[in-house]
This record gives sequence, C-alpha cells and structure tokens, in this order.
Amino acid sequence: MSTPLIHVVDDDDSLRTAILRLLSAAGHEARGYASTGDFLLHASLDRPGCLLLDLNLPGPSGLELQEELLRRGVPVPVVFLTGHAAVPDSVRAMKSGAEDFLTKPVERHTLLGAIDRALARDAAQRQSRAEADRLWARFARLTPREREVFERIVAGRLNKQIADELGIAERTVKLQRAQLMDKLGAGSPAELGVFAERLKQLRTPAPGA
Amino acid sequence: MHPPRRFGQAFVHRLILLWLVVASGWVPAASLERNVLVLYSYGRLLPAAIETDRGLRETLRGASGEQVRVYDEYFDAPRFGLESYADTTVDFLRSKYEARRPDVIVAAGPQALRFLLENRARLFPGVPIVHEGIQAASIPPLPPGVVGVAHDIEVRRTLELALRLHPRARRIVFVTGKAEGPDLEWDTLVRGEARAFAGRVSVEFLSGLPHNVLLRRLAELDGSSIVFTRGYFLDGEGRGTSPLDSVRDMAVASGAPIYSPFDTTLGVGVVGGFSRTFVDVGRQTGRIVNALLGGADPSSMKMPEREPATLDLDWRQLRRWGIDERDVPADAEVHFRKPSIWEAYRGQVIAGVVILLLQAALILWLFAERFRRRRAERAVERQRFQLAHALRLAVAGELTAAIAHEINQPLGAILSNADAAELMLDSGADRRVELREILADIRRDDLRASEVIQRLRTLLTGREGEQRPFDVNELVLDAVAIVRSEAARRGVTLEARTAAGSVSTVGDRIQLQQVLINLILNASDAVAGLPDAQRLIVVTVTPGAPGGTLTVTVRDRGRGIAEGNLSRVFESFFTTKGEGMGLGLSIARTLVEAHGGRIWAESPPDGGALFCIELRQV
Repeated sequence: MSTPLIHVVDDDDSLRTAILRLLSAAGHEARGYASTGDFLLHASLDRPGCLLLDLNLPGPSGLELQEELLRRGVPVPVVFLTGHAAVPDSVRAMKSGAEDFLTKPVERHTLLGAIDRALARDAAQRQSRAEADRLWARFARLTPREREVFERIVAGRLNKQIADELGIAERTVKLQRAQLMDKLGAGSPAELGVFAERLKQLRTPAPGA
Repeated sequence: MHPPRRFGQAFVHRLILLWLVVASGWVPAASLERNVLVLYSYGRLLPAAIETDRGLRETLRGASGEQVRVYDEYFDAPRFGLESYADTTVDFLRSKYEARRPDVIVAAGPQALRFLLENRARLFPGVPIVHEGIQAASIPPLPPGVVGVAHDIEVRRTLELALRLHPRARRIVFVTGKAEGPDLEWDTLVRGEARAFAGRVSVEFLSGLPHNVLLRRLAELDGSSIVFTRGYFLDGEGRGTSPLDSVRDMAVASGAPIYSPFDTTLGVGVVGGFSRTFVDVGRQTGRIVNALLGGADPSSMKMPEREPATLDLDWRQLRRWGIDERDVPADAEVHFRKPSIWEAYRGQVIAGVVILLLQAALILWLFAERFRRRRAERAVERQRFQLAHALRLAVAGELTAAIAHEINQPLGAILSNADAAELMLDSGADRRVELREILADIRRDDLRASEVIQRLRTLLTGREGEQRPFDVNELVLDAVAIVRSEAARRGVTLEARTAAGSVSTVGDRIQLQQVLINLILNASDAVAGLPDAQRLIVVTVTPGAPGGTLTVTVRDRGRGIAEGNLSRVFESFFTTKGEGMGLGLSIARTLVEAHGGRIWAESPPDGGALFCIELRQV
C-alpha cells in the first residue's frame, strides 16, 4: 500500500503554500489546488489520503465539492479550513461527514491532529473496504441457487424447510450448503452467520456497483 | 296849485302804492329808509375801523324790516389834524347829508366824538349820537342824547398774563408813539397802568423813539424782558406808519416777546393779550343803534358797563418763546395753530403705522419661519448623516464575515509558515534557503493583512465631513476591494473599470465610498440566486471634461427595476427587498446631493439595473 497523499484546496496562494510547507515539514506528502475545478481535474484519488478544503472558494465552494465527492462515491475524508466559521456552514459540513472544521489561522497541532485523524479514518475505511471487497468477491462466486440457499440458512431455516420452499430434495440442499460454505470459506454455520452479518453491513455502496 | 287837490292826488297815489304793496309783497325802499352816519376818527384801512364796520353792518342789517343805510366818513387822524378844518368839515357834512339826514350818528374814536360834541348844534342838532372805541378815561362829560360803551383796554390783565407765562421776566418795556391824540393818549394810559407793576419788575418806556432806533433797542432785549405795545401812528421823527405795521417791524426785531391788548395785532408776531375784538364792538354799537332807530329814549337807555374781553394768543409765538401750552388759561383762544402731522393726518398716520407694524410683524414672522425651517432642515440633515453613519456601521457589520476571512487568510499563512519553519529547525537539517523563503512570505502576508486593516479602518472609523480632492478611480478600487470578499462569499464577480489617468472630485471620500459600497451590495442582492453568468457586477468610472461632471455607474444583470419604481427607489422606506428598511438609497441620495451631485437609476434595454452617480470633476 502506497503512502498517503494530502490534497490542499485553497484559492489563496500564500496560505496554500504555507500549509503545504507545514505538512511537508511534518513529514506528509501534500499537493495543492487553487480551485475546486483544479482539484477535480488533477487529483488522483486512488492513493490513500485526505482533503484539506477551504470553505470559501471562487466558483463552486468547498461544501459543494464535498457533496459532489459524496455523490461520486469517493470516500475521502475532508477537513474544512475557513477564514470565518459560520455556524450553518459548519453544521452542513459535519452532517456531510466532514472529519473536522478548522478556523484560520490554525494551530499546527490542531491541523496535524485533524490530518492524522483523517488519514487514520481513511486507512480504516480503506481496510474495511478491502475486506468488503474480499467478501463480495467470495459471495460473487455463489450460483443463484446457492445464494437462495445461503439467504435461507442465514435466516435460520432447516434443510428440510429450505428443500420444501425451493422444491428441491433435502439432499440437494445439503450438497449446496457444503459447496457454498466452501466457496465462502466458512468452517461452521456460526462463521457463515458472521459472514452474513458483515455482508449486510457492507451492502451499502459497493465499489463498481 | 291847490293844496287839497294835491293832497287828493297824493292820497290816490298812496292808495295805489299800498295796493301794490299788499298785492305783490313789495316794500318800497324809499318810504322806510333809515340813515346811520358813522364818523371814524382814523383811516379807512385801520384794522380797527374795518372790523368795527363789519360788526356794525352785520348787526344793523339784521335788526329790523327797515332798510338801514350806513354812511362812513373817515377823519384819518392823526395824519390830519381835524381842528384845522373842522368848520369846512361841518359845512361839507351838512351839505353832503342834506337829503339823507342821519337818524343816528356813530362816533368811532375820541376825535370823532369830540368833533361831534363841539359842532353838534351846527351839524345835526337833536340826532342821537353813539360813541364807541373810546377808553373810559378819554370820554368827556356827555350831553343828553349821547350814549355809548367805554372801550376798556386790558393793559393790566394782559401784563399779568405775560408775567405768568414768562416767570423769568424781570422787566416790562412799554413802547409808545408820538402822534398827538391816539399815541399820546395810549402813552398816558400805559404809564398809569405801569405803576401797578413798578414794585414787582423794572419798568421801562421806549416812547417817541425814531423807528430804527427803537428796533435796535428791541433787538438788544432778551428773554428776561416783556415788550408791551399796540404800535403807533407816528414815530419819534414824526414818520407816519400804522400800529399794525409798526408792531410787525417790532416783532421781527425784538429779542423779547411782545404782548398787545388788541386782537388786531395778532398774527404779525405778537404773543397775544386780552382784548375786546372790534367786530364785537361794532356789533355792540349796532345793537344800540338798532334800539335808537326803534325809538328808544337815549337818556333812559341802559348801557352795558363793558364788553367781555377775550384772550387771544398766537400759537406760533407760544412755540417761539417756549411757552408750555399747559400754562395757557383754558379760556384762551389759540390762533394759527399749525396742526401736527398727527392732528392733520391722523387717519393716514394710524393707517401707516398699522401697515408698518403689520409689515414688521410679517417680516419678523417670515424671519422666524425661515429660521425655524433652516433649523429643521439642519436637524433633518444632521439626522440623515447620523443615520448614514449608523448605516455605514451596519454595512461594516454585514461585511464582517468577508472582513474576517480577508484578514485571517494572511494570518493563517503566517502561522502555518512559522510552524513549518519551526519543524524545519527541529529537523536539524540545513534548510536555510527554504527558511528564507518562509520569512519573505511571512513579511508579505503581514503587509497584506495590515493593508486590509488599513482599508477597513477608513470605512469603520474614518472621520466624515472632510472636503478634500481625491481620485475617483482609487475610490472605486477601494470600495471594490472592501466588498470583493463579501461578493466572493455570495458567489458574485466584481469588475472595476476605472478611467485612464486620474479623475478627481472634491468631497467626503468616506461618504461617497459608502454610497458606492451600498450600491454594490444592493446589486449583489439583486443577482443572488441567479445563474453564474448573471452574477456579475461592473463598476465603471467615466470622466467628463475638466470642470464638468464625471460619472460612476454600478451595473448588474439582475432582475432590474420596474419602470414605475425608478425614481421611487430613492424614497425613504421604499424597498422591494424582503429585508432592509429602504433607507440605503435615500441616504445615498442625501450624501450625493450634499456633494452637489446627482444619483439616478436606469433600466438598460438588455436587462438588469444601472445606477449612476454624477459628481463635479476638478
């Protein structure tokens, strides 16, 4: 996994330069953008990292960019930085899942702390997203019939009940049960339950879906 | 001729005449005619003679139904001594009045009476004689058939009056003439009367002096003297004059007031005196003559002891000698009073004064009104400027977010640069080049922050009311700089199109900047919520000719202003916004007009609104 990259979006050249300098001195890799459009055009978001976003930007504002990223399903944590914090703006930002909301001028420890938290969250998110990907990949290997059986096992049905519902032999159910547990890498019915639970948690936006 | 026949003829004639009288009411003059002969001692034009004649004729005319004919003869004493031609005069009068025999003879003055008494037997014996104009002292013993009223001269009363009116007077100067008869009789009279005053004041006689010597003597007198005279007929050199003319000369020359007991001298410069007017004397005589004509018996007639005297004064002389009219006895008749302006034009004076007062009151009222209005205007103006100031602070408040942003931006950069530098130093590596860059950036940001603060300070704490020349381009750039970040916050793009070269005006820069900021913020409101392309505000400076007018316009692409509201937007409390009091533009107009400029709104054909400010260019 590559090192995190911090994206700094601020229209004020001087401030952006200073922030980039500070992040760099603190051992981070960071890149600056003068506007929302600049960021959307040039930022590569496959690397882990976070976004340090000025609230008052010419053209589309920082809030608008945050909402756009959410819409595009880019789960990059956002730290807002503003010259003058208006309460409605901060509320809106936090509701949209902002990591933090900082006011200029910002203390080094506050800024770096927020950045660290954002990066940690990104890392965690990326890890869980990777695990989910694995789960989804296994789940994708199941045949339609096996998925039907899986859903009924997870719902707590007995083999006989499943066979009746699907109109197949109980033996066939047993066979498919064994196959799907194998495909999903579950050693016991309990493990199958855990898998189902985690899958359910991840059902919301699947990458590439 | 036979007497009876003559008698018969006469009788017939008389009958016819009587019938004519009865039939026509005509009274034949000849039959009832009565003759009165008046013998005057003095000349025909002596005022005393003229006045007496007037009174006499007036009374005689109205006395009875009879026709009274009056004949006058003048002896013209003392110019002619009657003694020398008395016999001739007797013959003359007898021949003259043969056919018109007098029924009554009037003797006016002592000479006439003396002549009549001496020649009565030869002249008109038995005809009653009435005398007049003779002082009691000069009346000789009278035979039967001669009556009359003494003409007393009020020497003493007149002098008493004079002394009362001139309390400072210490001397009485008597002036008498030299004419045998009237002048000398007058001299005798006043010398007798003067004795009564000798103890109280000094008494001096100027008797029988040559006329010009007398006038010189009178001129030497002053207010401590009183002159008493009735004039004279002959002066010391025997030159003839008349009492009236001599008194006239004396009045001109005299340094002291002149009193005279004859009303005939009134008006030529005499203060006045107690006198019997000759008209009244004439009337009195007329009444006696009427009684005699009516058949009264002269010996049994009762004569009044004397005529009542009247006090006549000359108003001009009272003034000349500074006599207070309050000291004048109430029964005095003051002649020649020149009515004061007040007395002559009372109505006009009152009207004039009233008009003047009304005018003055009106003028005062107008002044007061003008003062009140100007005070009110000043108060309104003061309040407007106070309001403008309050609004300026409100605008500043509105800009707080943008201001904070603008200042925090460089401050944030400075802090982060400092932090970075610290970390670099901690790392121990030699990063001098980078540190130098950081320091340069910190300095630049520091200056940037102080620039913002400087700009805002003028808006927030700048003193108003300063009239100074300044560049309108700078004004526009400053206003745009102040509002820019707020505009950016609202997503509005601001564009300033300044003129090439400097465009100056004179005035209160802060107030005009406020006007401009107000217009820009209004425009921002107008374009809020519109598509990007329309969220553009352009501020343009258009110079005029030097000494002409320059124009600053604020143009937006918003919803525009309805045609009917173009002028109303500048009225107080007129607003089309949901919030706002509608005072901004009204105050903007006040401020611009206080600079002798104009502000108006237009609706350009391609949409939006255009606000124009026109100012004097210097």
